[in-house]
Amino acid sequence: MRSLDWVVLLLSIVFIVFYGLWRSRGSNTVNKYLLAGKTMPWYAMALSIMATQASAITFISGTAQAYVDGMRFVQMYFGLPLAMVILSATAVPLFHRSGVYTAYEFLERRFDAKTRALVSAIFLLQRGLACGVALYAPAIVLTAILGIPDRATTLLMGSLVLLYTVAGGIQAVTWTDFQQMLIMFAGVFISLGMAIALLPGDTTVMDAFALAGAAGRLNPVVLSFNWQDEFNIWTGLLGGMFLALAYFGTDQSQVQRYLTGKSIAQSRLSLLFNAVAKVPMQFLILLTGAMVFVFYSFEKPPIVFNPIELQRLESQPGHADLTRRYDAAYAERRAAASRYVKTKDEAALTDYRAANFRMENIRKETGTADTNYIFLSFVTRYLPVGVVGLIMAAIFAAAMSTISAEVNSLATVSMVDIYRRYIKRDATDEHYLFASRAFTTFWCTYAIVTAQLGAGPVSLIVMVNKIGSYFYGGMLGVFALAFFFPRVHGTAAFIGVLAGEAAILGASQLTQVSFLWYNVIGALVVIGTGLLVSVLPAQRESSGPTSYGL
Amino acid sequence: MSRPANEPPPFLGAWRRVYAAVLLWLAMLIFAFYLFTRAFNQ
Repeated sequence: MRSLDWVVLLLSIVFIVFYGLWRSRGSNTVNKYLLAGKTMPWYAMALSIMATQASAITFISGTAQAYVDGMRFVQMYFGLPLAMVILSATAVPLFHRSGVYTAYEFLERRFDAKTRALVSAIFLLQRGLACGVALYAPAIVLTAILGIPDRATTLLMGSLVLLYTVAGGIQAVTWTDFQQMLIMFAGVFISLGMAIALLPGDTTVMDAFALAGAAGRLNPVVLSFNWQDEFNIWTGLLGGMFLALAYFGTDQSQVQRYLTGKSIAQSRLSLLFNAVAKVPMQFLILLTGAMVFVFYSFEKPPIVFNPIELQRLESQPGHADLTRRYDAAYAERRAAASRYVKTKDEAALTDYRAANFRMENIRKETGTADTNYIFLSFVTRYLPVGVVGLIMAAIFAAAMSTISAEVNSLATVSMVDIYRRYIKRDATDEHYLFASRAFTTFWCTYAIVTAQLGAGPVSLIVMVNKIGSYFYGGMLGVFALAFFFPRVHGTAAFIGVLAGEAAILGASQLTQVSFLWYNVIGALVVIGTGLLVSVLPAQRESSGPTSYGL
Repeated sequence: MSRPANEPPPFLGAWRRVYAAVLLWLAMLIFAFYLFTRAFNQ
């Protein structure tokens, strides 16, 4: 990065932090600190919801997903609009009317204390695991580009988030999310524009699409069904809908965003904005990855994008032969691409596809997992000065918005569902405000410490979704029982959650079913078990309809 | 303070129509992506 890039990056970060601190004024009660006094307009909640979901991983790994596997990943989001409509019609009015701070507080009013405690513990476990990964992603940026150690990066990022999140609570988080999402929008559009603009002068967008399509990168809809494949339209619609229902309907990091709305209508609009905007945004991010792939048809890509892995590879005995074969395959692919651009000859596309296949096989021989380095490598090597800083700012903004929301929600559940419920029940508002800030500090520190666990061979974006899928099915099932089955009682719901989590564990260990189906399996087992236990003779007398269902 | 639960949406008159519009938008997007896949992916 050059000086101007650093200026852009640092100014963006400083602006976000100071803006967050400025917005933290007036957060002097627990209600204002955790729910913004229920004053938020729909557009602030809408962008906060989107920013919370779109982490740095979305940029780093989402674009790379299209580069290596095509655009079929977008199908995972097809179920999201369906989920948003269902939640707007069901969860939003129920949560608002009940006046709760957390989704799990609602479970005690509907069921009992043990169900609330169990689901709160599941949330703390799974969100605690995920927040370390979300913080680790930007650490990859600086480690790869500047050689700054992971620990320094995670400490810096975590400390900045800590500053405004502890000071301002959800008001600071929501309004910084709003700014951060605007920076991210700019980053997406500029990245896509630059990937197309950097193609050779005689290459049209249609040529780029033809080349990307020949290599199997333009596949946003896959109609064939496979239980083991998460990226087809059927898994996307059904599995994706269950994942989105669970994430936006039961995960406090999202529920808390729309609990701050000044009315039910405002909260509904914030979710429906995401229903409309999320799929096109994800499409553009993936299209950027596909265009980066085409760009590398005319510029030789490194055999391995991770610079550290590349150094290791160069020291190995078979490296010279591997490089020679890789260079030959690339030369053939480039010649075929140039021939197609000039002649539009279909035979050139066939040659392009064959040469690309050889290149991919040679890359596989290296045995390295460098997916998460592809986009950053492109940004830093080819984008002009200033733009690099802005893209980096977008990645940092994405990371900070996700971390702040996660830390904020973890602190809220710790304070409301654990501390105020079980440890200190009758303290003053000032005491609970202090406790909320203390829990925020704890979870931010925890995220920094666990961030090192984010390193791994799998794509980060897939990893985060997998972590959620181990727990979301059980959480979704218990909320479905709460909303739609008024005769199911607390013990039945509690046993249902345990059965659902056991079923997910069994599915993950004993079958090859794609992780997106874990949510469906878990939710259905919870509902089935809950209904079954509710009709058992010994349990019937304690059951009865409640006023908290639909 | 929260307004009444039956507060209408700012457009289309009723929430059911807004939900229908969202679902129609999704169907159109998927159809457009399908055509995009058919046109370019080989």
